[in-house]
Amino acid sequence: MTCDDLQDAFELYALGALEDEERGEIETHLARGCQTCQGRLNDALALNALMLSSTPAAVPPARLKRRVLASFGIERSGWGWLGAFAAALMLVLALWLSVQERRRAAELAEARREAIQVEADRDRLLQAFAFLNQPETKQVVFGAGQPQPPHGNIFVNPSSGVLLIGANFPALPSGKTYEMWVIPTKTSAPRPAGIFQSTAQGGAMHILNGPIDSLYAVAVSIEPDGGSQTPTQIILVAPVSGA
Amino acid sequence: MSWWKLLSAGAAFAILEVASRFKDDAALAHRLRARDPHVISALYDQYGRLAYSLIYRVVRDSAVAEDLVQETFLRVWNRAMSFDPERGALGPWILTVARNRAIDHLRSVDGRMSAGSLALDRIENPKLFSNFEDSALGIDRARRIQEAMGKLTPAQKEVIELAYYEGLSQTEIADRLKQPLGTVKTWARTALRALREQLSGMAIA
Repeated sequence: MTCDDLQDAFELYALGALEDEERGEIETHLARGCQTCQGRLNDALALNALMLSSTPAAVPPARLKRRVLASFGIERSGWGWLGAFAAALMLVLALWLSVQERRRAAELAEARREAIQVEADRDRLLQAFAFLNQPETKQVVFGAGQPQPPHGNIFVNPSSGVLLIGANFPALPSGKTYEMWVIPTKTSAPRPAGIFQSTAQGGAMHILNGPIDSLYAVAVSIEPDGGSQTPTQIILVAPVSGA
Repeated sequence: MSWWKLLSAGAAFAILEVASRFKDDAALAHRLRARDPHVISALYDQYGRLAYSLIYRVVRDSAVAEDLVQETFLRVWNRAMSFDPERGALGPWILTVARNRAIDHLRSVDGRMSAGSLALDRIENPKLFSNFEDSALGIDRARRIQEAMGKLTPAQKEVIELAYYEGLSQTEIADRLKQPLGTVKTWARTALRALREQLSGMAIA
C-alpha cells in the first residue's frame, strides 16, 4: 500500500483498533523511516489526545489519590502528612509537658522539704544562740583530745535547759538514732532528753528545753528509731556537776 | 449518544483546560525521569481526574476504574525511562495509557484478548509521543475539533465512539451495528477526515 492508501488509518492505528493487515502496513512504513507516515502518526496522536481529553468529567473519590500514592510507598498527601506530623508533634509536646510537670512537682516538693528543714535548722540555731547568750549558761567540754568518741561542748542553763554541740559523731545505720540523757544525781537513773541525728560531717546539735533542778552528768546513747526510756548503748558520759 | 450532547455543553471548558495543561509538563517529565516518587502526587493532581473520567467512561464501574487508575500511574512510572522529557507529550501519553488500561479490561471481560493486548502495548510506547509540536495541542485546535465533532452525523459519531471508548476494530463495529464493513469504513473515514481537517486547517493558517 502507498502512504496515501493509509492516510485515514493512523487514528485507528494509534487507538489499537486497526485490523491486522493495515496495522502491519503502517508498521512497515514507520519501520523504514517514512517521514510522511511518521508525520501522520504524530497528527493522529495529537487528535486522539484532544478527543480523549474531551471525555465528560467524572469525579474520583478522594481516597483514590491516597491509594495511588500508597502504591508508591508515599503514605499520605501533603496535608495528610502535615496533619500526622502535627499530631505526632502534639503528642511529643504533651508527653514533654507532663514529664516537665511531674519533674517540677517533684522539685517543688523537694524545695518545700528543704525550706522546712532550713527553717527548722534556723530555729534551732536561733534557740542555740539565745541559749549561749544568757549569762548564767555554763560550758562543759567533753571528749577533748580524742578522735573517738565524739567531742564537743555541753552548755547548761538552769532556767533554759541543756545544749549539746558536738563533732565526730559516727554516721548511724538506718533505724538508729542518737538520744541524749540527763542524769540529775550520781545515783539517779538517766532521764530521756530527746533524740537527734548527726550531720553527714559528724556534727550534732541538740537542745533540751526546760529548767534544770540538778544535773550530775549528760550522756548520749544509740537507740532504735523513736528513742527509748532507758539507754541501750551509751557512747559518752560527760560529768557536769562541777559546771 | 448522550455523551456527545454533554460534550458540546458541559465538557467545553474541560477540553480547553486540558489542552492548556499539556504545555506545562516538562518539569513533571524531568522529575519522573529522575525517579522522584513524589512527582506522582503532582502528576495525579494534573491527570488523576482526567484519567479516572476517561477510564470510567469506558468501564462504567467506579471500583474497576479506581483499580485501573492505580495501574495507569504504576505503568507510567515503570515506563518513564523511555520518555523524552524535552520533546515528549506527557499528557497525551498518560491519557493513552489510561484509555488502554480500560480497553484492555473491556477486552478481557469480553474474551477478546488475543492480539489486542499486544497492539495496545505497542501504541503506548513513550517513544511514540516524542514528536509533538507545541501547537499540536493548542486550545484553538481543541475548540475547532470540538466544533467539528458537533457536526458529525449520529452514525459517524457512533463509529468514533466505539473506536475510542470501546477499542472496537471496524469489523467489530460492523458486527455490533449490523452494518456492512464498507459502510462502517466510510463513516469512520469521513468522520476522521472532518476532525483531521481542523488540525491541518490550523497548520496552514
